[in-house]
Amino acid sequence: MAQDVINAATLGSLYLLFALGMSLAWGTIGILNFAHGSIFMFSAFVCHLIVREAALPMPVAVLIGLVVGAVISVLVQVLAFEPIQRRAADHRRAELQILVGGIGMAGVLLAIAQRVTKSVPFGFSESTFRVHVYDLGFVRLSNVQIVIVVAACLLAGLAGWWLRSSRSGLALRAIGVDPEVATMMGVDRRKLAVAIMAASGGLAGVAGVLLTYYLGSIAAESGDAFLLKAFAAIVLGGVGSVGGAAVGAAILAVVETIVLVQTSGTWVDAVSFGLIFLMLLVRPRGIFGRKEVRRT
Amino acid sequence: MSMHSRTWYGGIAAVGASVLIAGLTACGGPTSTDAGSVKGLPSTVKIMSIKEMSGAVAFAGTNATKGIDLAVEQINQQKFLGDSKLEIDLKDSAASAQQAASLATQAISDKSYAAILGPASSAQATAISPIAQKSGLPVVYTQAGSDGVLVGNYTYRVTAPAESYYQLAGQYLKSKHVKTAAVLFNSGNPTLTQLGQKTVPALADKYGFKVRSSDGVQVTAQDFTSNASKIAQAKPDAVFLLLTGPQDPVAVTQLRQDGYRGEIVGMTSMGAGNLKTAGKTAAGVVWPSNFSALDTNESTKKFVEAYKAKYGEVPNNYAAEAYDAAWFLARGIKEAGSASRTEIQKGLAKVAASGFEGAQGAMTFDGTDVRVTGVLAGWDGTNETLVPLGSS
Repeated sequence: MAQDVINAATLGSLYLLFALGMSLAWGTIGILNFAHGSIFMFSAFVCHLIVREAALPMPVAVLIGLVVGAVISVLVQVLAFEPIQRRAADHRRAELQILVGGIGMAGVLLAIAQRVTKSVPFGFSESTFRVHVYDLGFVRLSNVQIVIVVAACLLAGLAGWWLRSSRSGLALRAIGVDPEVATMMGVDRRKLAVAIMAASGGLAGVAGVLLTYYLGSIAAESGDAFLLKAFAAIVLGGVGSVGGAAVGAAILAVVETIVLVQTSGTWVDAVSFGLIFLMLLVRPRGIFGRKEVRRT
Repeated sequence: MSMHSRTWYGGIAAVGASVLIAGLTACGGPTSTDAGSVKGLPSTVKIMSIKEMSGAVAFAGTNATKGIDLAVEQINQQKFLGDSKLEIDLKDSAASAQQAASLATQAISDKSYAAILGPASSAQATAISPIAQKSGLPVVYTQAGSDGVLVGNYTYRVTAPAESYYQLAGQYLKSKHVKTAAVLFNSGNPTLTQLGQKTVPALADKYGFKVRSSDGVQVTAQDFTSNASKIAQAKPDAVFLLLTGPQDPVAVTQLRQDGYRGEIVGMTSMGAGNLKTAGKTAAGVVWPSNFSALDTNESTKKFVEAYKAKYGEVPNNYAAEAYDAAWFLARGIKEAGSASRTEIQKGLAKVAASGFEGAQGAMTFDGTDVRVTGVLAGWDGTNETLVPLGSS
């Protein structure tokens, strides 16, 4: 039982780390970035290429992931999403085109990684960091698991504090509520959009590197699978809420762990996504979702 | 190994459209102006090779292409087909069933193509097979292990189904006095599911061990912490990990980290360098395979030496199977003495009836499906090894 709790906490932290950046961009500037999974993967991939040449400690690898993720994400914003937003006839079309643009950018990053790795898994086996497992008698816990859980809690807390208490965070939330009014109040939407995309990409990069350390290796396609889980966690928790993303990730992880432990495992997605569907029937905005007010 | 495209619904649509087109093109059949209907061999026999050169299973396509290129080089250098040259037209299916079906339709329509070397993915192969069979175009597949790939006498496969040589795992476990086992299989993959749900339980009956648990994981599963804990707590003597290449190193690592110290048995997806990231953690893992570069067969040794000389690396099973596929096709063409698709099919049937020695050793056929003895491969922490049965 204790081991199952540890496992669920780790899995929930994995989902949260991945979902955090995606949730930030979606909940504030309204960009649902389908390239998030590929940015996550590509940051780990670039880190792998560097670690292969020079044995680096984990903190340096995480820093590389953060920088690579932030740079790619800003490039995606400036080269793809901004031009789409400028040219789209209306907000709804812009949203749809951003979805397609994100998928396109994801495809480019994926193709590069697949080409180089030939779809063989890659990791950081040359890194100086070594996994240690602590056997406490009733549970087994590794140092990477501790890092993952602590990192997820810290980063979620930091993101929540930023949005709630900092001046730029409040401006971002204002954009999330009403972009036009926020602009009239002097909020520089473009600058903040680039900043939030940098933060979102940086979080994806950190998640990519930490997850690669935890799993031992990932493949070029790994980001796609996490994208679906993160999407579910965000929708379940409520778009725009960091706490919601955390609770959504935790629920998803707990349900999956219970299904895995109690059944043969084939029903994991069916049961967990079925429960999410039922919950959304009762509460369509998600657990912590804002009530949308439309004025005519 | 069977691989699945996520765009299966698109594949069905593509197959539907392709069957319609194939139906129309098949009405004409080979004409007197075709290369295929000329008596004897033309100066060039053109083959379309549809491989996954990009996408999720690019590792299979790129390695297979290396094997094919080596075989074609040997065939042409040896003048195996007399003055006639074998020419390969490589097409990238990009791991897409629609793309594969579209390329096959193109080959069917263009009478300059004598045959197809098919893709590794079952999803793509099942999109190609019905139209190729209906149109009378020989296709030789590697991998593509699911039902619906071999649909008639024009469709051949030179990768033996894993269950046909998987008894090697049973023999190995018996030699290790294994009494209990757990199974973890990828439930989204038909080949792996069949191995997990039918082949392993049958082995258990035959070799005297009990399957304590049998769990499926999602096709895209990334984390096996809960599965690993569950298995490690049950402490079976052996674990069958029947997963895809990217899943293998993660599952092995997490099992070991959870304190599991028993035998770990996989399948061919453990090869092709997929355990490299697990390193020493995966030392001792074994898997029955249709090919090992360390095999002592004369024909295998010759292939490995030639491959190393050409590419400077050790071949994997994808390269070996594709090499055998190309040689099988060349033998069929030689036997036919013609580039006619119908004659090539008859030639392939004759070669299949007698079998031949290839990179995978002695190869026989059950209908249009190959059978090999197989070997038990293993990982020593750094490299793949050949595991003698009964070794400790």
